[in-house]
Amino acid sequence: MPLSTSSSDTNTDAYARQTASDRPGVAQPVPERPVPARRWGAILVGAVALFGVLIGAWELYWRASGVGPGTRNGFGLWAIQRRRIDDGEGNATVLLGSSRLHFDVQLPVWERLAGKAPIQLSYGGTSPMTAIEDLAADPKFTGHLLVGVAPELFFSGGGFGDGAARYTHKQSPAQRVGQWLSMYLVEPYLAFDDPDFALATVLKRQPWPARPGKHWFMDVRRLAIYTRDRDAWLWPKVAEDLRYRELARDIWRESFTDYPGDPTPAERIKTAQEQIERMVKAMALLRSHGVEVLFARLPSDGEYLAYEDRAFPRAQTWDALLAATHAQGIHFQDYPQMQGFYLPEWSHMTRSGAERFTAVFYGIVEENFWHAGGQDALPTGTSATP
Amino acid sequence: MVFNSLTFLVFFACVLALHSLPLRWKTRKTNLLLASYLFYSAWNPPFVILLWVSTVVDWYAAQGLVRARRQAARHAWMLLSVVANLGMLVYFKYGQFLLESFSAVMASIGVAYHPARYDIVLPVGISFYTFATMSYTLDVYLRRAAPARSFLDYALFVTFFPHLVAGPIMRPTELVPQFAAPRRASAQQLRFGLALMTLGLFNKVVLADSFLSRAAERVYDATAAAGTLDAWMGTLAFSGQIFCDFAGYSTTAIGAALCLGFAMPDNFRFPYAAVGFSDFWRRWHITLSSWLRDYLYIPLGGNRHGPARTYFALMTTMLLGGLWHGANWTFVVWGGLHGVYLSTERLLRARFAHYRPGPVAFVGLGILTYTLVNVTWVFFRAKTFGKAWSVLRGMVGGNTDAVPILPTFNLCMVAGIVAALLLTHWYMRSRTLEAVLARTPPLIIGMLWGLMLFAIVAAQGDGSAFIYFQF
Repeated sequence: MPLSTSSSDTNTDAYARQTASDRPGVAQPVPERPVPARRWGAILVGAVALFGVLIGAWELYWRASGVGPGTRNGFGLWAIQRRRIDDGEGNATVLLGSSRLHFDVQLPVWERLAGKAPIQLSYGGTSPMTAIEDLAADPKFTGHLLVGVAPELFFSGGGFGDGAARYTHKQSPAQRVGQWLSMYLVEPYLAFDDPDFALATVLKRQPWPARPGKHWFMDVRRLAIYTRDRDAWLWPKVAEDLRYRELARDIWRESFTDYPGDPTPAERIKTAQEQIERMVKAMALLRSHGVEVLFARLPSDGEYLAYEDRAFPRAQTWDALLAATHAQGIHFQDYPQMQGFYLPEWSHMTRSGAERFTAVFYGIVEENFWHAGGQDALPTGTSATP
Repeated sequence: MVFNSLTFLVFFACVLALHSLPLRWKTRKTNLLLASYLFYSAWNPPFVILLWVSTVVDWYAAQGLVRARRQAARHAWMLLSVVANLGMLVYFKYGQFLLESFSAVMASIGVAYHPARYDIVLPVGISFYTFATMSYTLDVYLRRAAPARSFLDYALFVTFFPHLVAGPIMRPTELVPQFAAPRRASAQQLRFGLALMTLGLFNKVVLADSFLSRAAERVYDATAAAGTLDAWMGTLAFSGQIFCDFAGYSTTAIGAALCLGFAMPDNFRFPYAAVGFSDFWRRWHITLSSWLRDYLYIPLGGNRHGPARTYFALMTTMLLGGLWHGANWTFVVWGGLHGVYLSTERLLRARFAHYRPGPVAFVGLGILTYTLVNVTWVFFRAKTFGKAWSVLRGMVGGNTDAVPILPTFNLCMVAGIVAALLLTHWYMRSRTLEAVLARTPPLIIGMLWGLMLFAIVAAQGDGSAFIYFQF
C-alpha cells in the first residue's frame, strides 16, 4: 500500500505524470496518455515491412524443409468431431485410441467400404481412457466404439490430449470462433503454423549442454499430417528422410530404457490394472446406452514391439483387459493379414500402407464383429482368431 | 475473448472500423457498449446478466444517494451497492472457500461437517468490474464525484472492453468524462496505441507464455522437491511471468483504448526496481493498490489515529487484498507477508528517519526488496502450503537430496529474460516509456516493433488466458 514516497529520484522526464498512487483519497482525474513526438506513420510502415520480411523468410525456411500448410491438430479440432455425437450423430462409429489408430486407419478408405466415415477422436501420445469415460457419461452416444490399445499409453493413462474432453465441454464461443478463423484463414496458407515449429520449441531443440544429474527426454517431433475431419497419416519425411526417421526412433528408444525414478515393472502392472478397472466401469455405462465396444491392438515393430512385450506383457494387459471387460478385441498378432506392413519408426505405417491396412482392418471388423454377428459372435473376453 | 487470440484480432478490427464511421456520438458509444457486451459474453454468455445486475444496482444506488436527504438513507443506498456487489463476489468466488474453511474449523473442534460440492463457475473478471462499479457509488457517497448524467455513459464506463475483465481498475471520474464529448483517435494515437498493444502482447505471448511459464510449471507443479537452483529459478520465472502477463495485459488494454481515442491510467511502473515495499506498491498494480487505499485503508482509519490503528488498517487491507486475488489461504499469506513488510518498513522509516542510502546501499535495498517480493510469490504461485514450504526449503538449500528439475534451456531462458527485465526496470526506474521513445531513433523503434511482431506470430501462442482473469 502506498503510504509514503520512497523514491528519491529526481524526475526530469518530460512525459512524467502522476498516478492514482500519488493522489490518495480524492477523485481521480482523467488520465494523461501522451504520444511521444515521433513520426509514428513512418515507424509503423518500417515495422510492418520488417515483420513482412522476417515472417516471409520464416515461412520460406519451413517450406524449404519439406513442410507445407496443413491443419493443426489441437483440442479445438477434436472438439468439432466430439460435438458431432451430440449434434445428431450419436449412433456413429467412433475411433478412439492413440496415434496408431489415428494414423493407421484412413477415413476415406473406411468411408468407401462402409458408406460412412467414422468419427475420429484418437489423440496422439494420449491414453483414450478419459475420452472413453466422457463418451460413457454421454447418453446421446449409442453407436459403435473402436478403442485403440497402444500398450504404453492405454495401460499408463494420461498424455498430451487428456484434457480434450474437458476442453470441449468448457470451450467458449470465442474459442470456437478462433478455431474456425484459424482453420479457414490461417492454417491453409502458413506452413510454419504448427506447434512443432513454434519459436520456443525450435529454440528448445537446439543442442543445449546437458545438465548433469538427470536424463532429459527429447520431445516427440512432428509425425503426421492432419485434415479438418481429423483424418491423419504419417508425415512422408519420417519414411523418406533417413536422419529424421532415425531421430524418431531415437526418441522412442528413450522410453524403452529404464531411468531412475521410472516405474518398476510391478508398479507398471499395478497402473495397468487401475486403467483396466476404469475401463470396466466405463464399459458398464457404455453398454447401458447400447454402445458396442471393440478393442484393437494395431501393429508395432522392431525395438518398439520388443519393449511393449517386455514392459506390458500381453497376458497381464491385453488379455486381462478383454477378460475384465468381457469385450472382444483384435490383436494384430492374431491376424496374419494385419502383419508385414512397413513401420518406418516401428510404430506407424506410411500413408499408402495405412490405406491398404485400413481395408484389411475394416474387413476383419466387418466380417468378424459388428456386422457379422455383433458381440455375441465369439466367446467374450478373447481375441477373435481367424 | 482474450487479447492474444485471432478472435480478438477480428473483433478489434471491426470495432475500430465501426468507431471510425461518421455516426452520431451516441450511436458510436452504443456500438462500443454492445461490442463490450459481445466481448464479455464471448466467454460465457449467461454471465452478462451479472454484469447487468452490477451495473443497474449501482446506477440506482448512486441516484438514490443523490436524492437522499437523511444520512441514514445515504448509508442505506451505499450499503445496498456494497452488499450487492460483494454478495455476488462472495457467492461466486468465495463460496467453496468459505465452506471448506468452515468444515476445517468444525473438524478442529471434532465436528464432522461435509458440505455438498459447490460446483459454480467463476465469472471472468468479476473481481475487477465489481470494484469498478463500487468505486462509482462510493465516490458519490463520499461526495468525491457527481453521478453520471447518462446511463449510457455510466454503463459504458463499467463495461468498456479494454478494462472490463482485468483492469486497469478505472474510477468513474477517470472514464465517464471521456464519454461526454465525441472522441476519435488521431492518426498518431492510433499508431502509438498499436505499438503499445504489440508491446503488451509481446510480453504476454512471447516472454510470459513461451519462455517463462513452463519453467515455473515444472518447479511448482512437480511432485518432487526442488533443489536450490531449481527452486530459485522456478520462482524467478514466475516473478517474470506474472509481471509480463499482467503488465502485458494492462499495456495491451491501454493501447486498445488509445486506438479508440480514450486514455487509461498506468497500472505498472517498473516494479522490480522498487526500493522498499511502499515503493513497490506505488509501481505494482497501481489501480488496485490505490483502490484499496482509498476505499479500505483510509476508511479503516489510515494513519490518522495513531500507530496501532495504522498497523491494524495496513494489515487488514493487505490481508483482504491478498484474498481478493484468490479464494485460498495461500493468497491471504501472500497479502499478509506484504502487510508485514510494509509495517516493518514503516517502523524502520520512523526509527531511521534521517537515513539516506548511498548508491550502493540503494541498489542493495532494491535487491533486498526484489528478493523478499520473490518470497511472497512462492505463496502466490504454490497451490498448497505444502508445496510453498517445499519450494522455500529448496530456496534456502534444505532439499539436499533433490534431483534437477529444469533443463539447461529453461535455466538459460529464465536467467536471460529475468536479468533483462531487471536491468530494464532499473534503467526505466524514474523514466516513462514515452520519454525514452521520444529520444530513441525512429529506425530503432521500427526495428524493435517489427521484431516483436515477428516474435509474437512465430511464438504461436495458444491463446492461454491471462493469469489475472482467474481473480
